[in-house]
Amino acid sequence: MSSDRGHEQELAHLERELKARDLLLDRRSREEMNYEVMHAMERISLGWLLAAFVLGGLVFLGLGLAWAYQIKWGLGVAGINRPVFWGVYIANFVFWIGISHSGTFVSAILRVFKAEFRRPITRASEMMTTFALIVAGMYPLIHLGRTWRFYWMVPYPNQRQLWPNFHSPLMWDMMAIFTYLIGSTLYLYLPLIPDMAMARDRTTGWRYRLYRLLALGWRGTEAEWQHLKTAITIFAFAIIPVMFSVHTIVSWDFGMTMKVGWHSSIFGPYFVTGAIFSGVSAVATVLLVVRRTMKLDYFLRAEHFDSIGKLILIFSFAWTYFFFADYLTEWYGGEAVGKELLTLQARGPVAPLWYIMLATNILIPWLTLWNRKVRRSFWGLMLVTLGVNVGMYIERYIIVTGFLTRNRLPFDWGVYNPSPVEILISIGSLSTFIFLYAVVSRVIPLVPIWEVREGQIAHSLRRIGRALVPTVTELE
Amino acid sequence: MAAKVLMALFDHVDPVAEVLDELRRQGIDDHDMTVISGVPYPARVLGRPMVWERLPWIALSGAFVGFLIGLFLNAGTPLLYPIRVGGQPLIPIPPSAVITYEFTMMGLIVSTFLGVLWESTFPSFGPKYYHPESINGRIGMLIRCPEEQLPEIQEMLRAHGARDVFEPEEWTL
Repeated sequence: MSSDRGHEQELAHLERELKARDLLLDRRSREEMNYEVMHAMERISLGWLLAAFVLGGLVFLGLGLAWAYQIKWGLGVAGINRPVFWGVYIANFVFWIGISHSGTFVSAILRVFKAEFRRPITRASEMMTTFALIVAGMYPLIHLGRTWRFYWMVPYPNQRQLWPNFHSPLMWDMMAIFTYLIGSTLYLYLPLIPDMAMARDRTTGWRYRLYRLLALGWRGTEAEWQHLKTAITIFAFAIIPVMFSVHTIVSWDFGMTMKVGWHSSIFGPYFVTGAIFSGVSAVATVLLVVRRTMKLDYFLRAEHFDSIGKLILIFSFAWTYFFFADYLTEWYGGEAVGKELLTLQARGPVAPLWYIMLATNILIPWLTLWNRKVRRSFWGLMLVTLGVNVGMYIERYIIVTGFLTRNRLPFDWGVYNPSPVEILISIGSLSTFIFLYAVVSRVIPLVPIWEVREGQIAHSLRRIGRALVPTVTELE
Repeated sequence: MAAKVLMALFDHVDPVAEVLDELRRQGIDDHDMTVISGVPYPARVLGRPMVWERLPWIALSGAFVGFLIGLFLNAGTPLLYPIRVGGQPLIPIPPSAVITYEFTMMGLIVSTFLGVLWESTFPSFGPKYYHPESINGRIGMLIRCPEEQLPEIQEMLRAHGARDVFEPEEWTL
């Protein structure tokens, strides 16, 4: 009898522990959840205002002044020169396109595979996709120099009735980014509609007017839910191949040239894997900051960071595989220019960067992320994920600017150093991303409350024999 | 006899499914009952008839239109102003696949979005029966019924645990 009572107490203790650990088992009233998300969104601290002011200043400095200076004086103020005609702008472009893979991967792929830990983090990562694409999309315009000539790429015939060349990888690039930007923005917006309606019912003034407009008259009827769920499913399946195509096409900007080091059939999957690796790492970094600054501890828990940490480790393995396959093929080929490129990385001017990349993308994740404590610790995961993105940026920088310094004509070898204008524009674009994220996180609910509640309805604790186990019910 | 609209608010979904069955037994058509909630409940949870969804067809149609636009840009525009370069084919198939694919996906995505708006008649801010409690954790139920059935249905709703039963206002959303 007393052993039965002891077992019951043990189960009660286990139940409390499981609920504390798992958001989807730890139900609160919908009213409470709505309040928590709305309160986090409406709270504007002095620190936030200060950060927004500094970021706004950096955006103005980078994009308002430095870019304007470049437009006035021409691309000559950038550090690009023969033989390096693609500089830090293109490296930044590739990097930001990579970051944009965060939302689609975390939201669409995990949704398709019904990974339940995705529920509270989908919107925060989808927002990253949209803002990263906006920043990435600026770089072809910046790199163009004569930005006002951009319309030459718009698909309509000129006065001689000549259309743009749709068989050019640069045209593919523009179309792929445009499709991805439209797709990911709509994919961000659709699941937001019910939360906009919730926000509409709880606000007044300008917020009410904005949420009312964006809620489109949502009431939450069965028909509205059915159409929305069907559309989200279609979007989830459609956006995945678009995501793969975007970074593959970016890699083809390089792969379609006859440049040694770039002309590689492995570049597509290599770039996509690297993009997801850096994108998921950036999601972890941003979520860590969001959790701490917006006090969303109820929604964003250690279990979520634990799962993201595992994903990062897996993508570190995958990226290393592609990196090594690419490296080994070049090494074994033994072509003189190829060997020179490898020497450039191992012992040349970019060697320090190259070794930092190997450390942050391979060594550190492999040595740390197998450990549950690191995956669940704020500073542990923060440092690893920041490191991964430093490493991934270096990878792009070396591939773009480093490889261009060596070619088949040794008399045409050169060096590249980014100019102050390029550095300021790069800082400005990074600040744009953070600024947009900081501002919009105070305007739209960062946690999809209805998705979390839906998950909570499907999750319960079930007693099997003498054990208490979490179970998921397939509602669909 | 004039029709009246009733709204009931429930705390849980189980009695809602029971009430739907009971209303059907009382001769209320499925079209005259609407469940409003802050969480999607699949039709089978509520015991509602499956409704054929047109959205996938709208999406497919959009994809087809996108495919045709892509095809025109790749194959049509070079024929409008043929320029042969270096003995290359005027309409090479592998590079044409990329833009055609992107436009197909763009058509699919845009038409899906427009399809949701069309099917849900969004945006629609006009006066509609609604109660904010229904997306704040409770489950709302709207019933259109003949006036003479009103007392009987109200009683049945209360018997099934409805927290509130009332004649709803129309809200400008």
